Amino acid sequence: WFSSMFQSIAGKANLQKSDLEPALKALKDGLMTKNVAEEIAEKLCESVAASLEGKRLASFTRISSTVQAAMEEALVRILTPRRSIDILRDVHAAKEQGKPYVVVFVGVNGVGKSTNLAKVAYWLLQHNVNVMMAACDTFRSGAVEQLRTHARRLQIPIFEKGYEKDPAIVAKEAIQEASRNGSDVVLVDTAGRMQDNEPLMRALSKLIYVNSPDLVLFVGEALVGNDAVDQLSKFNQKLGDLSPSPDPRLIDGILLTKFDTIDDKVGAALSMVYISGAPVMFVGCGQSYTDLKKLNVKSIVKTLLK
Amino acid sequence: MVLAQLGGTISRALQQMSNATIIDEKVLNDCLNEITRALLQSDVQFNLVRDMQKNIKKIVNLDDLAAGHNKRKIIQQAIFNELCKILDPGKPSFTPKKGKTSVIMFVGLQGSGKTTTCTKYAFYHQKKGWKPALVCADTFRAGAFDQLKQNATKAKIPFYGRFSCIPLFVEIDLSCNSYTESDPVRIAVEGVERFKKENCDLIIVDTSGRHKQEAALFEEMRQVSEATKPDLVIFVMDSSIGQAAFDQAQAFKQSVAVGAVIITKMDGHAKGGGALSARAREVEFEQWGRIWSWEKVLVSCISSVASDYGDVHKDDSHNQVAATKSPVIFIGTGEHMDEFEVFDVKPFVSRLLGMGDWSGFMDK
Ligand SMILES: Nc1nc2c(ncn2[C@@H]2O[C@H](COP(=O)(O)OP(=O)(O)OP(=O)(O)O)[C@@H](O)[C@H]2O)c(=O)[nH]1
Ligand SMILES: Nc1nc2c(ncn2[C@@H]2O[C@H](COP(=O)(O)OP(=O)(O)OP(=O)(O)O)[C@@H](O)[C@H]2O)c(=O)[nH]1
Ligand SMILES: [Mg+2]
Ligand SMILES: [Mg+2]
Repeated sequence: WFSSMFQSIAGKANLQKSDLEPALKALKDGLMTKNVAEEIAEKLCESVAASLEGKRLASFTRISSTVQAAMEEALVRILTPRRSIDILRDVHAAKEQGKPYVVVFVGVNGVGKSTNLAKVAYWLLQHNVNVMMAACDTFRSGAVEQLRTHARRLQIPIFEKGYEKDPAIVAKEAIQEASRNGSDVVLVDTAGRMQDNEPLMRALSKLIYVNSPDLVLFVGEALVGNDAVDQLSKFNQKLGDLSPSPDPRLIDGILLTKFDTIDDKVGAALSMVYISGAPVMFVGCGQSYTDLKKLNVKSIVKTLLK
Repeated sequence: MVLAQLGGTISRALQQMSNATIIDEKVLNDCLNEITRALLQSDVQFNLVRDMQKNIKKIVNLDDLAAGHNKRKIIQQAIFNELCKILDPGKPSFTPKKGKTSVIMFVGLQGSGKTTTCTKYAFYHQKKGWKPALVCADTFRAGAFDQLKQNATKAKIPFYGRFSCIPLFVEIDLSCNSYTESDPVRIAVEGVERFKKENCDLIIVDTSGRHKQEAALFEEMRQVSEATKPDLVIFVMDSSIGQAAFDQAQAFKQSVAVGAVIITKMDGHAKGGGALSARAREVEFEQWGRIWSWEKVLVSCISSVASDYGDVHKDDSHNQVAATKSPVIFIGTGEHMDEFEVFDVKPFVSRLLGMGDWSGFMDK
């Protein structure tokens, strides 16, 4: 099915859907092997087809390269954030207003919320920001000790109230404590939860409603397949539907973890951004405090189309 | 639509084929394409799906089928057989015996659910009258021992491990111990020895999460395995994993003798509530409502179990299949200790294809 990509129809008139199909099919298959969710790969190909249909092919260009170029453009457009968030700037702005800047880390189980919270703490320390952690995973065994270990290692304060407490209240007290002790930022760890678990999603939207954080960071792992679409759309949907607020807070940004475990299968980045419209603010790429990077859009696009 | 309802799609594709008056190349292709798409939407590895499509086409040679033969039945059976070939290792995994000491080692990617599943596995056997024990050989992750200890205490299961000491912020490594203190091999051996003396019959060793890109982590796993000589190594896999599953599963298998697979977090999409008991399973298969999660089982089974599917077809040696494939033995369906179920492949595939009785379809 590959050879069809190299058909040249130079000189032919306007592009028809049937001319594009073989090249699009190859492109879609390629995206899926890179771990782009099927639904997203399909939608992308449809929009590329729509943008090319009826256009005239420049002479001596292959259909495949025309399609590829259109896809590249689409990918760059999707992955380039529409609204950019400058955390450090916002932290300073909050500080001037005398308020701590609050980040809540949310996501499904085991994706790396707590570990990457520690990496973000380290990154903020490097920028001379006073950080505090709030241990609001009051459910999973060892969660409080896990966060405490990181806090001690980084020598930063941690607010903890043990287990089985209402995480929304723990977060509230943590933020009050931060105002008292002059912390610039509070990083709130939450328990992992499945996107379909209504009681737990309700508890999370309560935590967000009660504390109105400055940033709701969705943590998702680069390993995830088609479920990425479901995770992000459901988190947004449930945070919206289950919130008592008429104007509920949704996902502001994405922290993509375990990027070191996927080789060239980088598609989850695309699926997550496409479905949520939220930018990838950090990429976790290892198990050290320094393994936190910014997304390189160019290299992701290049890898996706390779 | 998020995940296609795989089972529904497959049986619909077969149904459409049944509705066609003549079955020619096009009808077969349409049917196979539909199935292929459903599998891809469910994260089954790309090449595997291609192979499967090819194999089915090879088996179903339309011209060779004598007129009068029931082509539909032949095609349906070919699809069923291919799915079973992928999923069924043909040999059960090592099963520990009550009263006789077995060492079971858990391995897997970071965050896949090893520590949680260790306790579930221990708890499941404890309820059946076993004497399980838990050993924490994860000296890397912050809070790993606290996690295992708290789980074990809740379930009243004896445990062994060391609290992570908390060195000051000197090195950037996330490991919470100094090098000498954190030898997982030594801790694993000590734990296993202790519980052997205490006559535990199921000694479960939890290990750190790791991935194939870091050779040192795989080497450590190999050493723990060599030192504790487990009777069974269980690979724990998160059901939401995508296209990277295949390479990772294969790499684990190449480093240690993976004998069984447990798939976790099946509750991500579960529509119906409540855990299934092993007994109730036949009934539950009737209820299409559970297909969201069953679909995930299929997918993860394929990714984790069938890493040698292509090769197997090349030389068709079934002994080799049995040696390298490992069956899925349990699935995890929630964060709580009892959200854990036994898994069987054959009734599952037959239900998936909408074939009530699978026995008639099996290769003899
Ligand atoms: N290789 C790799 N491992 C990571 C990365 N980020 C986190 N991990 C590992 O993933 C595992 C789970 O991380 P946690 O931070 O505990 O995940 P979590 O989302 O807080 O988990 P729960 O709170 O139980 O839902 C740990 O073993 C981490 O070391 C990463 O970027 N790369
Ligand atoms: N919903 C759900 N959560 C699960 C299931 N199994 C495990 N978890 C959760 O997944 C997260 C990670 O589980 P762990 O047992 O810590 O994973 P691990 O493989 O030991 O992680 P590392 O030791 O860091 O590699 C925790 O939040 C668990 O509660 C399951 O079947 N369903
Ligand atoms: Mg956590
Ligand atoms: Mg663990």
